[in-house]
This record gives sequence, C-alpha cells and structure tokens, in this order.
Amino acid sequence: MMTAQHLKYALLALAALLTACGGGSEQTDTAMDSGLDNTQEVQDYYAAHPDLFTFATPADIPADLVWDDGMDQPEIGSPDAKKGGTYYHTIEDYPPTLRFTGPDSNFSSRSWISGYYRMTYAIPHPNTQAYIPGIAERWAIDAPNKRVFIKINPNARWTDDEPITSDDQLFAFFFYLSEYIQAPFSNNHFSNEYTNITRYDDLTFSITMTTAKPDMAEYALFLSPVPQHFYKELGPDYPERYQWRYEPHAGAYSIDDKNLDMGVRVVLERKKDWWAKDNKYWRYLFNTDRINLTVIRDAAKRWEAFRRGDIDMMRISTAEMWYDNLPDSDPDVAGGYIDKVTFYNGGPRSNWGLWMNSSRHLLDNVDVRLGIQYAMNWDLVIRNYFRGDMERLRTQNDGYPEFTNTDIEPRPFDIVKAQEYFAKAGFTRRGPDGILVNDQGERLAFTLTTHYDRFADVFTILKEEAIKAGLEIRIEILDGAAGFRKVQERQHDIYFVSFSPSLSMYPDYWQYFHSDNAYDDAFLEDGSVNPDRKVKTQTNNIQEVADYELDQWIEEYDDSEDKERMIELSHMIQQRAWEYASFSPGFVETYYRTAYWRWVHWPEGFNFRFTTEPFEMFAFWMEDGEKERILAARRQGQTFEPHIEVYDQFRGLQ
Amino acid sequence: MSLIKLNPQTLKKLRRFREIKRGYYSFLILVGFLLLSLAGEMLINNRALVVSYEGDLYFPTYSAFHPGTDFGLDYPYETNYRDLKQHFEETGSDNWVLMPLIPYSPFENDASSGIFRPEAPNAERQHYLGTDTTSRDILARLFYGTRIALIFSIGFMAAVYLIGVAVGCAMGYLGGMFDILSQRLIEIWSNIPFLYMVIIVFSVIPDGFTIFARILILLSVMVLFSWTSMTYYMRTETYKEKSRDYVAAARVLGASNTRIVFRHILPNVLSTLVTFMPFTIVSAISAITALDFLGFGLPPPTPSLGELLKQGTQTLRTAPWIVMSAFGTLVVLLTLVTFVGEAIRESFDPKKFTLYK
Repeated sequence: MMTAQHLKYALLALAALLTACGGGSEQTDTAMDSGLDNTQEVQDYYAAHPDLFTFATPADIPADLVWDDGMDQPEIGSPDAKKGGTYYHTIEDYPPTLRFTGPDSNFSSRSWISGYYRMTYAIPHPNTQAYIPGIAERWAIDAPNKRVFIKINPNARWTDDEPITSDDQLFAFFFYLSEYIQAPFSNNHFSNEYTNITRYDDLTFSITMTTAKPDMAEYALFLSPVPQHFYKELGPDYPERYQWRYEPHAGAYSIDDKNLDMGVRVVLERKKDWWAKDNKYWRYLFNTDRINLTVIRDAAKRWEAFRRGDIDMMRISTAEMWYDNLPDSDPDVAGGYIDKVTFYNGGPRSNWGLWMNSSRHLLDNVDVRLGIQYAMNWDLVIRNYFRGDMERLRTQNDGYPEFTNTDIEPRPFDIVKAQEYFAKAGFTRRGPDGILVNDQGERLAFTLTTHYDRFADVFTILKEEAIKAGLEIRIEILDGAAGFRKVQERQHDIYFVSFSPSLSMYPDYWQYFHSDNAYDDAFLEDGSVNPDRKVKTQTNNIQEVADYELDQWIEEYDDSEDKERMIELSHMIQQRAWEYASFSPGFVETYYRTAYWRWVHWPEGFNFRFTTEPFEMFAFWMEDGEKERILAARRQGQTFEPHIEVYDQFRGLQ
Repeated sequence: MSLIKLNPQTLKKLRRFREIKRGYYSFLILVGFLLLSLAGEMLINNRALVVSYEGDLYFPTYSAFHPGTDFGLDYPYETNYRDLKQHFEETGSDNWVLMPLIPYSPFENDASSGIFRPEAPNAERQHYLGTDTTSRDILARLFYGTRIALIFSIGFMAAVYLIGVAVGCAMGYLGGMFDILSQRLIEIWSNIPFLYMVIIVFSVIPDGFTIFARILILLSVMVLFSWTSMTYYMRTETYKEKSRDYVAAARVLGASNTRIVFRHILPNVLSTLVTFMPFTIVSAISAITALDFLGFGLPPPTPSLGELLKQGTQTLRTAPWIVMSAFGTLVVLLTLVTFVGEAIRESFDPKKFTLYK
C-alpha cells in the first residue's frame, strides 16, 4: 500500500513537473492572482450534505448547557519571561512543502514549521491536563447527545489578521473531507468520527461525534479551524498550488516569503500584536522574536554547530554524548557557558521491546516465549549500556494515568527459570555449541530483526547473555522499508521496534491485540481455534496475539463509554498480554536531557510535566545582547557558576 | 595444474619477483598473517588452550563447549576461563588453566568499570588496543575482522576470475554473434546498481540462515556484479592471441578448441590475469569494508573493519584509539597488497628496462 501511494506521489510530482515545464511563468502568475473562488462550490457542498452541515440560530443553543472557560488552571511559564531575541535551531531536512496536509506534508521538521504554533480550540494544560482555552473562549460538553459546543474567542485572528469565525470550522470539514487535499487519512478520520457540525452564529458552533467515549470532548476541542479565505483557490491542483504558501493559523509565529531561503534556512517571525499575547495562559510563551531554522543534515556537524554557539540548544539522548562528549568537566560546562539539564516528564511512553511473532513455529509455544522473556538481560543493558539512565519498561502501554496496570512487573533475567520453561517446551539438552536442542534436533535459535541500526549494540549484548540460557539470537538489521515489510508480511521471528504511543487519554488495544488483526476468522462460533485460519498481514498485531476472551474484553473496552469499566478492562487486557508473554518489554526513557547555552532562560522547574521535547511549549526566553556578552566573557576566560541540574519533580508520577 | 607448467619464462618472472624486495616481503608478511590467522583461535580467544582439572586435561579451543559444571562451577553455560584461572589460583589447587596470548573473544563485553564504553589500551587487562563502544576487545575484533576480510576477498577473487576468465575467453575466442550478444548482456548487467541489489537480497533471505550462509550470499551477490569487468581484459587478450601465428599453427596441427584455449592461449594471457589479482583483492577488501561501514555488510556482531571504522568516526574525540586501530590496519593491509601487486606487475612486464629518448 505504501509503495502504491509513493508511486502515486511520484507520478503526481512528475505530472506537476511536466505541466510546470509546459506552462512556464504564465502559470505561476495566475496562481497568485487566479480569480478562482470556490465559495459557491463550498456552499453547494453544505447544501448537498444537510445531515453534516446544519445552520441554526443562537436561540437553538440549549439553555441548560454547562459552559466551561478553563480559566481556573495555573498560569503557564514565567512572569520573568522577556520578549525578544532570536532562537537558533537546526532541522535535518528542508521542508518539501509548506502545506500542512496532502502529499509530502508529514516531513520531519513539520512541527517546527507549523505544528508547534498552530492553535486548537483548547489544549490540555501541560501540567494538569485539564482543558484550557486556545482559540475557544468557552465550551460546553453535552455528553448524552455526543455533542460539544464551542464559542470562539471574539479576539481570535489568523496570522494574516483576518478574524476566525465558525465558518472556518465548517470549511474545515469541507477541507478535510475533500479529495483535493489527497489525504486519505484525514478523509477517513473526518467521515468516521464526526456526524454533524451546527453553526449558531459567527462565533458559536457545535460538533457531534460518533461515540461518547470518555475523551469525546478532545475530538472537538483539539481541532483547528481552516482559513476559508486562504483556500478560495482550493481545487484538484491543491498540492502544487499551495506547495509554498504558508497557511495562516491562530498561533504566534508566521513565515513570510522573504524568510524562506530554499534549501538553507527558514525563519519564523513572531507577531508582535498576536491576539492571545495578553491571555492568561499564553502570555509567557512564544517569547523570542524570531525562530531561525537552519538545515544541517549531519549529526556530527549539528553537534559542532552547537558547540560553536551557532545553535542555542541540543536535545541529547545517548549516554555516550551526555557523559563522554559533553562531560560535566567540559570547559564550557564547568565554565557555566553551557547548561545541562535532565527533566523527568510524564505521559504515554514509547514501547521499546521485542515483539515475538507467536504464529511462528516454536514461538507459538507459550513456554518458549516465557523462556525468552527470562533469557533477555535488559537489566544489564540498562545498567551497563545506558548507564542506569533508562528504566525498564513494564508493559506495552506505559504512561497512561489510571489505564496502565502498575501491578505488572516485567520478568527479570533468570537463566534458571528460562531453562525451566525451555525444558517444558522440550529443549532439555545443550548442543556442542551450548545452544539448547530438542528431541527432533531443532536448535533453539531465533532471528531478531530490526531497522534500528543505532541500537545494534543493545542486541549484541542481549545475544551474548541469551547464550547463557542456551538460546541463540541471530541479529538482522535491515533498512527501514525492508524491515517494515518483513514485519507487515509476518516473516519475522522477533522484531525490535516501538510504536509511538497514541496521545489520547487511554491506550488503543484493538489494533495490537485483537485476533481480527492476527488471523482471518481466528475462532469458530463456539470460541475454539479455527483449524484453517490464515495469518493476516499488514496489520499492527505483529505479535499475532489471538485469544478469544481477550477479544471480548477489547470489544467491550472499545464500545464502553464508562471510564471506570474501561480502566478495569484495560488492566485485565494488560494482565492477559503479560501472561501471553509475546512482548518482552525493553527500556523506557522517562526523561529528556538537553544542553543549552547560558543565554537561554527557563521558567522555574524548567518545563512542564506532559511535554516530550524541551522546546515544545516555547516557555524559554532570551535577552537582547546577552549572547554577545556571554561569548565575549568566554573569550576573555571569565567563568560563571555551572548549571547542571536534574528536575525530578514529576519523576515516578504516571 | 598441468596447464600452468613452470616453464623457464615463468621461473624467470618468479625470480624477478623475489628480487623486488618490497613486494616480496609484503607477500611473505601477508601469507604469514593468513597462515597465522587460520590458527587464530589459539592466539586470541576466551577459551583456554589447556585446562588441567582433577588430573584430566581438557583442550577447549576447538572442542564442544564445556559448561561451568564440568569444572566444578555452578552454572550450565560456557565456562568463563579467565575467571576459572583466577578461581584455581585463588583456591591454590593443583588445577591450572593456560590461556591464549590475548584471552578475549571478539564478542564478549568486558568492562572494567561495569559500564559498556570504550576503554583506552591497557596492557595490564590485556586489552592491547583498548575496547570498543560496548567494551569488546579491539585487537580481537580487528584480528578476526581482517581474517574474514582476507578470506572473503580471496574467495571473491577466485570466483570473479573463474567466471570472468571463462566468459571473457569464450567471447574472445568464439567471437561473432556470441561475442556481440554477450557484450550487450554484460553492458546491461553491469548497469544494475550493486548496492540496491545487496539491500534487496538481504531483505528476502529467510530467517533460518546462519551467519556463515549470509556471508556466502553476500559474497555471491558481490561476485555476481563484479565479474563483468574481468571479461573485457580477457576478451581483448584472447582476441589478440587468437590471431597470432602459433594459434594458427596449433589449429593446422589439428588441436581442438579446448586444447588451444587451455594449452596455448591461457598461459600466454596469464601475465595480464596475475597482475590484476592483488588489485582485485584490494577492491574486495575496500568493498566489504565500505558495505560494513554503511551497515549493509556482514550481520552484527560479526567482527569487521568497516564496523570498527564506523564506530571510530562516531567517537573521534572521545575514543581515538578505535579509529586509529581500524584505520591503521586498513592502511597497512591495503599497502601490503598493493606492494605485492606492483611487484607482480613489474616482474611480469616483458620490458625489463625502458629507455626514454
């Protein structure tokens, strides 16, 4: 599927190139002032879908709604924050487009181009996760009717100073359901999750969802409107027409054409008169006047750029970089020019670990899987390779407050237990190379496949340790596409990977554990295993988990609208997954580390609990001229108090 | 090998090769190293050479593994002979262990501080070139990496020559349509990007294959895309020789095609072949190193020069001994082979003295 899509994009790009060659400059001119106007088309679309788009009056808003403005939460950031300065950062690749949707729009630096600044109607408070207002002034949740009412802040403006209105949200539905944008995922999402949008007046509307899950409100509150006036020319040529046009949003930074240095640099400028600049929650954020993003592809060069002060901040993940390349004794650190900070954060975790394919020969035996669990010396990897910084992952779904079953303990390295389980599975004697053999002469050997080249050392350590338990691990490192295909076609024994956690309130189990994603017709009517079942490929159940009772729980979990019951089910599902033993939980990073130059200032406590990157909320600030002063002091050998700190106020909290 | 009889001419060439000291000694060093490395397990290994336990002698180097329980230890996995030696010494028993010169395998992590990180060369711990990023002995990894690279490149050379000479000779000797068609096929074939083929082939190899099988597959893929260049030389050489009078004479005398090719033409183009050999080896070593460097070569944790080089470039500042060892070995190895190559070329050159006017 992936390749077909790539092919499509390649053909489109080719077509675009050909038309561009044919049309010459003429076409570029018309693009800017085309006179196209799709207003009528949009109105016709609304009229053709009366179920989806409803036009009502303010009188139709139920009177008994409980409105919330989210203004009771603590402020974000520091009152000491000053506006000004330029923040220098690097991106690995130049953005292939400025579009936020459509082909090629999911590029690595997308967050820096628009993701970090785009506002939604509300956001979860980064410390408490309670909803606080963004574009919305207030909102009301009508759970029985699966509806959320939103009143837009009357001050809210797009970055091009046009006011934001309900029409922009109506248009957002037109936009995301449109085939013009060539984004099937958005098309699907909007047609599956929402059933109606009702406009009451210029600033008030309601959105109706398909289900009333506990996090239903997020489906509406976390939406962003789409500027209708900007997309007047939306049509089948959307990818080319909007390729280099920056979509206005409600945030603080914008990109001007003159600030695009193709292939080299993108500069974002802060809107001095940003409409939210005095808002309680936003006034201390987005402080620097400019964000300068320079393309540096090579990691080593990025590092050198940081050490020269060309870049203000670097996130550092590996122990080697943290302890050896930038030790606390480094002259720049000891001299107080570069600060080193470790910040323990919260939230759903990446689940690095070994995913065993339980449909494979031998691995279909739970005793073999249990033996493998006990033969993996993750503690040694964490202690000796990650130098004790990482922690042991417990389950596949760590970090969901309440929903994660914290009673589950990952299995330790224990060769006695491992051998017991292997013996139960028939592997009782050791061959001449020390690897266990069963009565049929089969060796206990599996291939560990991955596309994570950077963790190759971890696998070699696991391999050497597993030999002690009589298990052979063959390491196979493929490139990304080949590895992914191998997993999707279920050709793997064991795969090392992590799935990015869903950032919702509760984990999703269906795609990873439900037998629908493991086999075609996994079970017969009575719940017994279907002897003719075939492995289903191209799904995320890469462990091939198929358990009849587990299926029932997952279905109930997915249908449930009762949070307490969902939590109970979630714990049961995780417990059963643990017993199934096809996922060997590896390591988890419960913190992020960053090194930054002294001229970057941070609020007290450094950052917020539910952030995954140091710069995410842009709570830091800089002072004009300070960088030059500090660099001059460094040249003259004048030192400062070093700042090496661990912020662990959120450590251990879920 | 009756087809390559040592006639006086060849003997003269060999004598001349011996006279070129630089190449000759390089050759001796290389052959010496190769022979030494074949018995490498007795020099660099974490298995003991001899263990004397309770009056019995054990020779674990090439035997099946001995679990710790064989020597009165309490674990069922492979004995750690370094610890065993220490254990025997501490308990003051009559048992003893004789370890190889460098008592480390290229796979085991041996960190003095308990943290897997590069450690500088340390004669006391017998890590003479230090350890790599996961605390494995660099000397052991270099030694076995070089051995694999050398054997790999010799195998590569043999295979490339076999195919290249056969096809090239046939093209030159048979000529005509066969020649034209083969040439076109070779042109097409040599345009297939080799690196992509390696990636593709490796992604479809079934799981069950051992590391040795994977190395063989890598070798086959490399040979499959490298034999073509050899055919060009062979084809022209054969063409040239074919039109010589002695070939015509042989034909008139009724010699068969096989006889003409093997008895008359091949010995006469031998000098071209032989002079290319060392350079083929150089390119094979470079290729396997480059592939390992890029991560498409031998599967980890197979010791390899490319993998060490890659580690070295990432730890240039913090652990310079890694890159120095790997780079130094590569330079020495390639220089030696190149010296041999130059000497061969010179000794096989019919013009001993060239006068410039």
